[in-house]
Amino acid sequence: MIKQRRTGLRVICFLVVVALYAKFLWDTEVSILKLKRGLPWMADFMVRMFPPDFSVLGSALKGALQTLEIAVVGTTLAALLALPLGFLSARNIAAPGVFYGVRGVLNLFRSIDTMVYALFFVAAVGLGPFPGVLAVVVYTAMSLAKLCSEAIEGIDTGPVEAITATGATRLQILRYGVIPQIIPLFISYILYRLETNIRAAAILGFVGAGGIGFYIQTYLRMMNYRAAACVLLILVIMVMAVDFASSQIRKALI
Amino acid sequence: MIMLRNLCKLYPPDTVALDNCTVTIAPGEFVMVIGPSGSGKSTLLRCVNRLISPTSGQVIVNGLDVTAATREQLRQARRGIGMIFQQFNLIKRASVIDNVLAGRLGYAHSIASLFGYFGSDDQAIAQKSLQQVNLLELANRRADTLSGGQQQRVAIARALAQHPKVILADEPTASLDPNLTRVIMDILKEVNSSQGITLMVSQHLIDVALTYGSRLIGLQSGRIVFDGSPLQLTETIIQQIYGEM
Repeated sequence: MIKQRRTGLRVICFLVVVALYAKFLWDTEVSILKLKRGLPWMADFMVRMFPPDFSVLGSALKGALQTLEIAVVGTTLAALLALPLGFLSARNIAAPGVFYGVRGVLNLFRSIDTMVYALFFVAAVGLGPFPGVLAVVVYTAMSLAKLCSEAIEGIDTGPVEAITATGATRLQILRYGVIPQIIPLFISYILYRLETNIRAAAILGFVGAGGIGFYIQTYLRMMNYRAAACVLLILVIMVMAVDFASSQIRKALI
Repeated sequence: MIMLRNLCKLYPPDTVALDNCTVTIAPGEFVMVIGPSGSGKSTLLRCVNRLISPTSGQVIVNGLDVTAATREQLRQARRGIGMIFQQFNLIKRASVIDNVLAGRLGYAHSIASLFGYFGSDDQAIAQKSLQQVNLLELANRRADTLSGGQQQRVAIARALAQHPKVILADEPTASLDPNLTRVIMDILKEVNSSQGITLMVSQHLIDVALTYGSRLIGLQSGRIVFDGSPLQLTETIIQQIYGEM
Protein backbone atom coordinates (compact mmCIF):
# COMPACT_ATOMS: atom_id res chain seq x y z
CA MET A 1 0.00 0.00 0.00
CA ILE A 2 1.29 3.44 -0.89
CA LYS A 3 1.56 5.87 1.98
CA GLN A 4 -0.73 8.83 1.73
CA ARG A 5 1.01 12.14 1.40
CA ARG A 6 0.41 14.31 4.37
CA THR A 7 0.44 17.67 2.63
CA GLY A 8 -0.61 19.64 5.69
CA LEU A 9 2.31 18.36 7.76
CA ARG A 10 4.73 19.11 4.94
CA VAL A 11 3.58 22.70 4.68
CA ILE A 12 3.94 23.18 8.44
CA CYS A 13 7.47 21.68 8.41
CA PHE A 14 8.43 23.93 5.52
CA LEU A 15 7.12 27.05 7.28
CA VAL A 16 8.93 26.16 10.51
CA VAL A 17 12.23 25.71 8.67
CA VAL A 18 11.80 28.99 6.81
CA ALA A 19 10.97 30.83 10.05
CA LEU A 20 13.98 29.36 11.85
CA TYR A 21 16.27 30.28 9.01
CA ALA A 22 14.96 33.85 9.01
CA LYS A 23 15.71 34.06 12.73
CA PHE A 24 19.27 32.81 12.14
CA LEU A 25 19.81 35.45 9.45
CA TRP A 26 18.47 38.14 11.80
CA ASP A 27 20.61 36.93 14.74
CA THR A 28 23.80 36.89 12.70
CA GLU A 29 23.09 40.41 11.43
CA VAL A 30 23.51 39.37 7.83
CA SER A 31 23.07 42.49 5.77
CA ILE A 32 23.84 43.18 2.14
CA LEU A 33 23.73 46.90 2.90
CA LYS A 34 26.49 46.62 5.48
CA LEU A 35 28.52 44.57 3.03
CA LYS A 36 28.08 47.24 0.40
CA ARG A 37 29.15 49.97 2.82
CA GLY A 38 32.24 47.91 3.67
CA LEU A 39 33.38 47.52 0.08
CA PRO A 40 35.48 50.69 -0.09
CA TRP A 41 37.28 49.68 3.09
CA MET A 42 38.11 46.32 1.59
CA ALA A 43 39.40 47.98 -1.52
CA ASP A 44 41.46 50.33 0.63
CA PHE A 45 42.89 47.37 2.52
CA MET A 46 43.86 45.66 -0.71
CA VAL A 47 45.43 48.79 -2.12
CA ARG A 48 47.52 49.24 0.99
CA MET A 49 48.88 45.72 0.55
CA PHE A 50 50.42 46.63 -2.76
CA PRO A 51 53.10 46.26 -3.68
CA PRO A 52 54.09 43.53 -1.22
CA ASP A 53 57.19 44.37 0.78
CA PHE A 54 59.72 41.68 0.01
CA SER A 55 62.20 42.94 2.56
CA VAL A 56 60.42 40.64 5.05
CA LEU A 57 60.81 37.63 2.76
CA GLY A 58 63.29 36.08 5.19
CA SER A 59 60.80 36.06 8.07
CA ALA A 60 58.03 34.89 5.77
CA LEU A 61 60.07 31.92 4.59
CA LYS A 62 61.18 31.11 8.12
CA GLY A 63 57.55 31.17 9.30
CA ALA A 64 56.40 29.12 6.33
CA LEU A 65 59.04 26.48 6.97
CA GLN A 66 58.03 26.25 10.61
CA THR A 67 54.38 25.90 9.65
CA LEU A 68 55.27 23.11 7.26
CA GLU A 69 57.33 21.43 9.97
CA ILE A 70 54.53 21.67 12.53
CA ALA A 71 52.07 20.19 10.04
CA VAL A 72 54.37 17.36 8.92
CA VAL A 73 55.55 16.37 12.40
CA GLY A 74 52.06 16.70 13.86
CA THR A 75 50.42 14.70 11.08
CA THR A 76 52.94 11.85 11.10
CA LEU A 77 52.87 11.45 14.89
CA ALA A 78 49.09 11.54 14.71
CA ALA A 79 49.07 8.85 12.03
CA LEU A 80 51.21 6.57 14.23
CA LEU A 81 48.70 7.00 17.06
CA ALA A 82 45.69 6.71 14.77
CA LEU A 83 46.48 3.24 13.43
CA PRO A 84 46.21 1.38 16.77
CA LEU A 85 43.32 3.62 17.85
CA GLY A 86 41.61 2.80 14.57
CA PHE A 87 41.85 -0.91 15.27
CA LEU A 88 40.56 -0.44 18.80
CA SER A 89 37.54 1.47 17.53
CA ALA A 90 36.65 -0.84 14.63
CA ARG A 91 33.46 -2.78 15.28
CA ASN A 92 34.68 -5.90 13.48
CA ILE A 93 38.04 -6.08 15.32
CA ALA A 94 37.72 -4.72 18.85
CA ALA A 95 35.75 -6.24 21.70
CA PRO A 96 32.44 -4.35 22.19
CA GLY A 97 33.55 -2.78 25.49
CA VAL A 98 36.79 -1.46 23.99
CA PHE A 99 35.00 -0.36 20.84
CA TYR A 100 32.41 1.78 22.62
CA GLY A 101 34.99 3.22 25.02
CA VAL A 102 37.50 4.24 22.37
CA ARG A 103 34.80 5.49 19.98
CA GLY A 104 33.41 7.67 22.75
CA VAL A 105 36.81 9.17 23.54
CA LEU A 106 37.48 9.81 19.85
CA ASN A 107 34.17 11.58 19.34
CA LEU A 108 34.73 13.66 22.47
CA PHE A 109 38.17 14.91 21.44
CA ARG A 110 37.18 15.33 17.81
CA SER A 111 34.46 17.82 18.70
CA ILE A 112 37.12 20.39 19.63
CA ASP A 113 39.20 22.04 16.93
CA THR A 114 43.00 22.27 16.63
CA MET A 115 42.96 25.98 17.50
CA VAL A 116 41.35 25.37 20.89
CA TYR A 117 43.90 22.67 21.69
CA ALA A 118 46.61 25.17 20.75
CA LEU A 119 45.35 27.62 23.38
CA PHE A 120 45.38 24.81 25.92
CA PHE A 121 48.88 23.56 25.05
CA VAL A 122 50.39 27.07 24.90
CA ALA A 123 49.20 27.50 28.46
CA ALA A 124 50.60 24.10 29.39
CA VAL A 125 54.04 24.00 27.70
CA GLY A 126 54.66 27.64 26.77
CA LEU A 127 54.93 29.57 23.50
CA GLY A 128 56.55 28.16 20.37
CA PRO A 129 56.02 25.45 17.74
CA PHE A 130 55.80 22.56 20.23
CA PRO A 131 52.29 23.39 21.54
CA GLY A 132 51.32 23.76 17.88
CA VAL A 133 52.56 20.24 17.14
CA LEU A 134 50.67 18.89 20.16
CA ALA A 135 47.47 20.60 19.05
CA VAL A 136 47.78 19.17 15.55
CA VAL A 137 48.55 15.69 16.94
CA VAL A 138 45.52 15.51 19.22
CA TYR A 139 42.89 16.60 16.73
CA THR A 140 44.45 14.78 13.76
CA ALA A 141 44.99 11.51 15.65
CA MET A 142 41.32 11.46 16.64
CA SER A 143 39.98 12.24 13.19
CA LEU A 144 42.38 9.85 11.42
CA ALA A 145 41.51 7.11 13.91
CA LYS A 146 37.84 7.54 13.07
CA LEU A 147 38.52 7.33 9.32
CA CYS A 148 40.87 4.40 9.88
CA SER A 149 38.27 2.48 11.86
CA GLU A 150 35.71 3.06 9.12
CA ALA A 151 38.19 1.77 6.55
CA ILE A 152 38.78 -1.31 8.70
CA GLU A 153 35.05 -1.91 9.03
CA GLY A 154 34.74 -1.80 5.25
CA ILE A 155 37.35 -4.45 4.42
CA ASP A 156 36.75 -7.63 2.49
CA THR A 157 36.61 -10.44 5.07
CA GLY A 158 37.86 -13.04 2.55
CA PRO A 159 41.60 -12.41 2.97
CA VAL A 160 41.14 -12.23 6.75
CA GLU A 161 39.53 -15.68 6.67
CA ALA A 162 42.29 -17.00 4.44
CA ILE A 163 45.07 -15.71 6.69
CA THR A 164 43.29 -17.02 9.79
CA ALA A 165 43.09 -20.44 8.15
CA THR A 166 46.90 -20.61 7.76
CA GLY A 167 47.30 -20.74 11.54
CA ALA A 168 48.42 -17.12 11.82
CA THR A 169 48.43 -15.30 15.16
CA ARG A 170 46.03 -12.43 15.75
CA LEU A 171 48.74 -9.84 15.07
CA GLN A 172 49.73 -11.65 11.87
CA ILE A 173 46.09 -11.66 10.79
CA LEU A 174 45.92 -7.88 11.26
CA ARG A 175 49.26 -7.40 9.50
CA TYR A 176 48.51 -9.63 6.49
CA GLY A 177 44.72 -9.77 6.29
CA VAL A 178 43.67 -6.26 7.29
CA ILE A 179 46.48 -3.72 6.89
CA PRO A 180 47.20 -4.35 3.17
CA GLN A 181 43.54 -3.61 2.48
CA ILE A 182 43.40 -0.31 4.36
CA ILE A 183 46.88 1.09 3.71
CA PRO A 184 46.19 2.91 0.40
CA LEU A 185 43.07 4.50 1.87
CA PHE A 186 44.86 5.36 5.11
CA ILE A 187 47.76 7.04 3.33
CA SER A 188 45.39 9.10 1.24
CA TYR A 189 43.57 10.19 4.45
CA ILE A 190 46.92 11.16 5.96
CA LEU A 191 47.71 13.30 2.93
CA TYR A 192 44.31 15.02 3.13
CA ARG A 193 44.93 15.74 6.79
CA LEU A 194 48.39 17.09 5.95
CA GLU A 195 46.79 19.55 3.54
CA THR A 196 44.26 20.77 6.09
CA ASN A 197 46.90 20.84 8.82
CA ILE A 198 49.08 23.19 6.77
CA ARG A 199 46.13 25.62 6.79
CA ALA A 200 45.48 25.02 10.49
CA ALA A 201 49.16 25.44 11.39
CA ALA A 202 49.23 28.71 9.43
CA ILE A 203 46.97 30.36 12.00
CA LEU A 204 48.36 28.59 15.10
CA GLY A 205 50.78 31.53 15.38
CA PHE A 206 47.83 33.79 16.25
CA VAL A 207 47.74 32.19 19.69
CA GLY A 208 51.50 31.87 20.02
CA ALA A 209 51.83 28.28 18.85
CA GLY A 210 54.48 28.93 16.20
CA GLY A 211 54.61 29.20 12.43
CA ILE A 212 53.79 31.74 9.78
CA GLY A 213 50.67 32.98 11.60
CA PHE A 214 52.84 34.87 14.04
CA TYR A 215 54.17 37.09 11.22
CA ILE A 216 50.74 37.58 9.63
CA GLN A 217 49.32 38.72 12.93
CA THR A 218 52.30 40.91 13.85
CA TYR A 219 52.38 42.79 10.54
CA LEU A 220 48.61 43.26 10.51
CA ARG A 221 48.72 44.67 14.04
CA MET A 222 51.53 47.00 13.08
CA MET A 223 49.38 47.93 10.09
CA ASN A 224 52.31 47.04 7.89
CA TYR A 225 50.01 45.68 5.21
CA ARG A 226 52.69 45.43 2.54
CA ALA A 227 54.77 43.14 4.74
CA ALA A 228 51.65 41.12 5.61
CA ALA A 229 50.97 40.76 1.88
CA CYS A 230 54.40 39.26 1.34
CA VAL A 231 53.83 36.72 4.13
CA LEU A 232 50.37 35.84 2.80
CA LEU A 233 51.79 35.36 -0.68
CA ILE A 234 54.38 32.91 0.63
CA LEU A 235 51.61 31.09 2.55
CA VAL A 236 49.47 30.77 -0.58
CA ILE A 237 52.40 29.42 -2.59
CA MET A 238 53.27 26.91 0.12
CA VAL A 239 49.69 25.67 0.51
CA MET A 240 49.32 25.24 -3.24
CA ALA A 241 52.66 23.42 -3.48
CA VAL A 242 51.70 21.00 -0.71
CA ASP A 243 48.24 20.41 -2.22
CA PHE A 244 49.82 19.69 -5.59
CA ALA A 245 52.45 17.34 -4.18
CA SER A 246 49.91 15.49 -2.08
CA SER A 247 47.46 15.03 -4.95
CA GLN A 248 50.30 13.65 -7.12
CA ILE A 249 51.22 11.14 -4.42
CA ARG A 250 47.59 10.16 -4.00
CA LYS A 251 47.22 9.58 -7.73
CA ALA A 252 50.31 7.38 -7.74
CA LEU A 253 48.81 5.28 -4.95
CA ILE A 254 45.62 4.35 -6.78
CA MET B 1 41.75 -38.17 9.88
CA ILE B 2 38.72 -35.95 10.26
CA MET B 3 35.88 -36.89 12.57
CA LEU B 4 32.73 -34.83 12.80
CA ARG B 5 30.36 -35.96 15.53
CA ASN B 6 26.76 -34.76 15.85
CA LEU B 7 27.70 -31.38 14.46
CA CYS B 8 25.03 -28.69 14.76
CA LYS B 9 25.23 -25.05 13.84
CA LEU B 10 22.36 -22.70 14.58
CA TYR B 11 22.13 -19.07 13.61
CA PRO B 12 19.65 -17.30 15.84
CA PRO B 13 16.78 -16.85 15.67
CA ASP B 14 15.81 -19.89 13.62
CA THR B 15 18.35 -20.85 10.94
CA VAL B 16 19.70 -24.37 11.15
CA ALA B 17 22.87 -24.43 9.06
CA LEU B 18 24.01 -27.88 10.19
CA ASP B 19 21.75 -30.49 11.70
CA ASN B 20 23.43 -33.38 13.51
CA CYS B 21 26.14 -34.17 10.96
CA THR B 22 28.37 -37.16 11.64
CA VAL B 23 31.16 -38.10 9.24
CA THR B 24 34.52 -39.81 9.49
CA ILE B 25 37.06 -39.16 6.75
CA ALA B 26 40.16 -41.34 6.46
CA PRO B 27 43.57 -39.92 5.50
CA GLY B 28 44.02 -39.60 1.73
CA GLU B 29 40.33 -39.54 0.85
CA PHE B 30 39.04 -37.13 -1.79
CA VAL B 31 35.64 -36.12 -0.50
CA MET B 32 33.28 -34.00 -2.53
CA VAL B 33 30.54 -32.23 -0.59
CA ILE B 34 27.52 -31.59 -2.76
CA GLY B 35 24.17 -29.95 -2.23
CA PRO B 36 22.16 -26.91 -3.25
CA SER B 37 23.05 -23.35 -2.26
CA GLY B 38 22.40 -22.78 1.42
CA SER B 39 22.50 -26.48 2.28
CA GLY B 40 25.41 -25.97 4.69
CA LYS B 41 28.43 -26.97 2.56
CA SER B 42 30.47 -23.89 3.48
CA THR B 43 29.52 -24.12 7.13
CA LEU B 44 30.51 -27.78 7.26
CA LEU B 45 33.95 -27.05 5.79
CA ARG B 46 34.51 -24.04 8.06
CA CYS B 47 33.71 -26.11 11.14
CA VAL B 48 36.69 -28.35 10.34
CA ASN B 49 39.24 -25.57 10.94
CA ARG B 50 36.82 -23.67 13.19
CA LEU B 51 36.57 -20.57 11.08
CA ILE B 52 33.03 -21.20 12.30
CA SER B 53 32.48 -22.66 15.75
CA PRO B 54 29.71 -25.24 15.82
CA THR B 55 26.86 -24.76 18.27
CA SER B 56 27.25 -28.32 19.46
CA GLY B 57 29.07 -31.47 18.47
CA GLN B 58 32.69 -32.38 18.10
CA VAL B 59 35.32 -31.92 15.41
CA ILE B 60 38.49 -33.98 15.65
CA VAL B 61 41.26 -33.39 13.13
CA ASN B 62 44.49 -35.41 13.24
CA GLY B 63 43.68 -36.50 16.79
CA LEU B 64 43.01 -33.02 18.16
CA ASP B 65 39.58 -31.98 19.36
CA VAL B 66 39.35 -28.71 17.45
CA THR B 67 36.13 -27.73 19.17
CA ALA B 68 37.78 -27.88 22.60
CA ALA B 69 41.22 -26.58 21.57
CA THR B 70 42.92 -23.60 23.19
CA ARG B 71 43.82 -20.66 20.98
CA GLU B 72 47.38 -21.93 20.57
CA GLN B 73 46.30 -25.52 19.85
CA LEU B 74 43.80 -24.26 17.31
CA ARG B 75 46.51 -22.22 15.58
CA GLN B 76 48.73 -25.29 15.34
CA ALA B 77 45.84 -27.38 14.06
CA ARG B 78 45.07 -24.78 11.40
CA ARG B 79 48.66 -24.88 10.16
CA GLY B 80 48.04 -28.44 9.09
CA ILE B 81 44.78 -27.62 7.31
CA GLY B 82 45.09 -25.65 4.07
CA MET B 83 42.05 -23.84 2.75
CA ILE B 84 41.07 -22.42 -0.61
CA PHE B 85 38.05 -20.32 -1.41
CA GLN B 86 35.67 -19.46 -4.22
CA GLN B 87 36.90 -15.86 -4.26
CA PHE B 88 40.59 -16.89 -3.97
CA ASN B 89 41.01 -14.44 -1.04
CA LEU B 90 44.53 -13.39 -1.94
CA ILE B 91 46.12 -10.22 -0.61
CA LYS B 92 45.45 -8.31 -3.80
CA ARG B 93 48.17 -5.68 -3.59
CA ALA B 94 50.89 -8.10 -2.52
CA SER B 95 53.09 -10.07 -4.89
CA VAL B 96 52.36 -13.68 -5.79
CA ILE B 97 55.31 -14.98 -3.75
CA ASP B 98 54.30 -12.90 -0.71
CA ASN B 99 50.85 -14.43 -0.93
CA VAL B 100 52.33 -17.92 -0.94
CA LEU B 101 54.62 -16.99 1.97
CA ALA B 102 51.50 -16.16 3.97
CA GLY B 103 50.99 -19.94 4.04
CA ARG B 104 54.10 -20.09 6.24
CA LEU B 105 52.77 -17.62 8.85
CA GLY B 106 51.87 -20.41 11.26
CA TYR B 107 55.49 -21.61 11.24
CA ALA B 108 57.36 -18.30 10.86
CA HIS B 109 58.97 -16.31 13.65
CA SER B 110 56.05 -14.24 14.78
CA ILE B 111 57.79 -10.87 15.27
CA ALA B 112 60.00 -11.13 12.17
CA SER B 113 56.95 -12.02 10.09
CA LEU B 114 55.20 -8.81 11.23
CA PHE B 115 57.96 -6.92 9.42
CA GLY B 116 57.53 -9.05 6.33
CA TYR B 117 60.61 -11.15 7.02
CA PHE B 118 60.59 -14.90 6.44
CA GLY B 119 63.49 -17.31 6.93
CA SER B 120 65.28 -18.91 4.00
CA ASP B 121 63.60 -22.29 4.55
CA ASP B 122 60.17 -20.64 4.46
CA GLN B 123 61.21 -18.86 1.25
CA ALA B 124 62.34 -22.16 -0.27
CA ILE B 125 59.10 -23.89 0.66
CA ALA B 126 57.06 -21.04 -0.83
CA GLN B 127 59.02 -21.23 -4.08
CA LYS B 128 58.59 -24.97 -4.27
CA SER B 129 54.83 -24.65 -3.70
CA LEU B 130 54.60 -22.07 -6.44
CA GLN B 131 56.50 -24.39 -8.73
CA GLN B 132 53.98 -27.14 -8.00
CA VAL B 133 51.22 -25.03 -9.51
CA ASN B 134 53.51 -23.92 -12.37
CA LEU B 135 53.51 -20.24 -11.55
CA LEU B 136 57.10 -19.66 -10.48
CA GLU B 137 57.67 -17.30 -13.41
CA LEU B 138 54.95 -14.96 -12.08
CA ALA B 139 56.37 -14.88 -8.54
CA ASN B 140 56.96 -11.13 -8.49
CA ARG B 141 53.73 -10.03 -10.17
CA ARG B 142 51.08 -8.30 -8.10
CA ALA B 143 48.38 -10.86 -7.27
CA ASP B 144 45.48 -8.79 -8.63
CA THR B 145 47.09 -8.61 -12.08
CA LEU B 146 46.63 -12.37 -12.53
CA SER B 147 43.67 -14.08 -14.16
CA GLY B 148 41.10 -15.88 -12.01
CA GLY B 149 42.52 -19.31 -12.77
CA GLN B 150 46.04 -18.16 -11.95
CA GLN B 151 44.88 -16.55 -8.72
CA GLN B 152 43.28 -19.78 -7.62
CA ARG B 153 46.53 -21.60 -8.37
CA VAL B 154 48.36 -19.07 -6.16
CA ALA B 155 45.81 -19.79 -3.44
CA ILE B 156 46.51 -23.53 -3.81
CA ALA B 157 50.24 -22.82 -3.54
CA ARG B 158 49.57 -20.85 -0.35
CA ALA B 159 47.71 -23.86 1.07
CA LEU B 160 50.48 -26.25 -0.03
CA ALA B 161 53.10 -24.02 1.64
CA GLN B 162 51.46 -24.96 4.94
CA HIS B 163 52.55 -28.58 4.34
CA PRO B 164 49.00 -29.56 5.21
CA LYS B 165 47.60 -33.00 5.92
CA VAL B 166 44.17 -31.75 4.90
CA ILE B 167 43.01 -29.21 2.33
CA LEU B 168 39.52 -27.73 2.51
CA ALA B 169 38.24 -26.19 -0.69
CA ASP B 170 35.04 -24.16 -0.60
CA GLU B 171 33.58 -24.04 -4.11
CA PRO B 172 37.08 -23.56 -5.56
CA THR B 173 35.86 -23.44 -9.16
CA ALA B 174 32.55 -21.61 -8.86
CA SER B 175 34.07 -18.39 -10.24
CA LEU B 176 35.84 -20.16 -13.11
CA ASP B 177 34.87 -21.44 -16.56
CA PRO B 178 34.70 -25.19 -17.37
CA ASN B 179 38.26 -25.38 -18.72
CA LEU B 180 39.75 -23.72 -15.67
CA THR B 181 37.51 -25.84 -13.48
CA ARG B 182 39.23 -28.89 -14.94
CA VAL B 183 42.70 -27.34 -14.46
CA ILE B 184 42.06 -26.54 -10.81
CA MET B 185 40.39 -29.87 -10.03
CA ASP B 186 43.28 -31.72 -11.75
CA ILE B 187 45.77 -29.91 -9.51
CA LEU B 188 43.76 -30.86 -6.43
CA LYS B 189 43.51 -34.47 -7.60
CA GLU B 190 47.27 -34.57 -8.21
CA VAL B 191 47.96 -33.13 -4.75
CA ASN B 192 45.67 -35.78 -3.29
CA SER B 193 47.15 -38.77 -5.11
CA SER B 194 50.85 -37.85 -5.07
CA GLN B 195 51.12 -36.33 -1.59
CA GLY B 196 48.31 -38.18 0.14
CA ILE B 197 46.71 -34.94 1.33
CA THR B 198 43.11 -35.46 2.42
CA LEU B 199 40.73 -33.28 0.41
CA MET B 200 37.33 -32.01 1.33
CA VAL B 201 35.88 -30.03 -1.54
CA SER B 202 32.45 -28.48 -1.83
CA GLN B 203 31.18 -28.43 -5.38
CA HIS B 204 27.83 -27.50 -6.79
CA LEU B 205 28.44 -29.19 -10.15
CA ILE B 206 27.42 -32.84 -9.86
CA ASP B 207 29.38 -34.06 -12.88
CA VAL B 208 32.61 -32.51 -11.57
CA ALA B 209 31.96 -34.05 -8.17
CA LEU B 210 31.38 -37.46 -9.77
CA THR B 211 34.55 -37.24 -11.88
CA TYR B 212 36.95 -36.30 -9.11
CA GLY B 213 35.56 -37.49 -5.80
CA SER B 214 36.40 -40.86 -4.27
CA ARG B 215 33.52 -40.24 -1.93
CA LEU B 216 30.51 -37.95 -2.03
CA ILE B 217 28.66 -36.37 0.85
CA GLY B 218 25.26 -34.94 0.00
CA LEU B 219 23.84 -32.16 2.14
CA GLN B 220 20.31 -30.91 2.20
CA SER B 221 19.07 -28.27 4.63
CA GLY B 222 22.07 -28.94 6.89
CA ARG B 223 21.53 -32.71 7.05
CA ILE B 224 23.71 -35.37 5.50
CA VAL B 225 21.34 -37.22 3.18
CA PHE B 226 23.94 -39.17 1.24
CA ASP B 227 27.37 -40.54 2.04
CA GLY B 228 28.94 -42.98 -0.37
CA SER B 229 30.95 -43.62 -3.51
CA PRO B 230 30.13 -41.91 -6.82
CA LEU B 231 28.80 -45.25 -8.07
CA GLN B 232 26.15 -45.36 -5.37
CA LEU B 233 24.79 -41.96 -6.27
CA THR B 234 21.62 -42.66 -8.22
CA GLU B 235 19.34 -40.31 -10.09
CA THR B 236 16.77 -40.65 -7.31
CA ILE B 237 19.26 -39.61 -4.65
CA ILE B 238 20.37 -36.62 -6.72
CA GLN B 239 16.75 -35.58 -6.96
CA GLN B 240 16.38 -36.04 -3.25
CA ILE B 241 19.38 -33.79 -2.59
CA TYR B 242 18.51 -31.06 -5.01
CA GLY B 243 14.74 -31.31 -4.79
CA GLU B 244 12.44 -31.41 -7.78
CA MET B 245 14.19 -30.29 -10.98
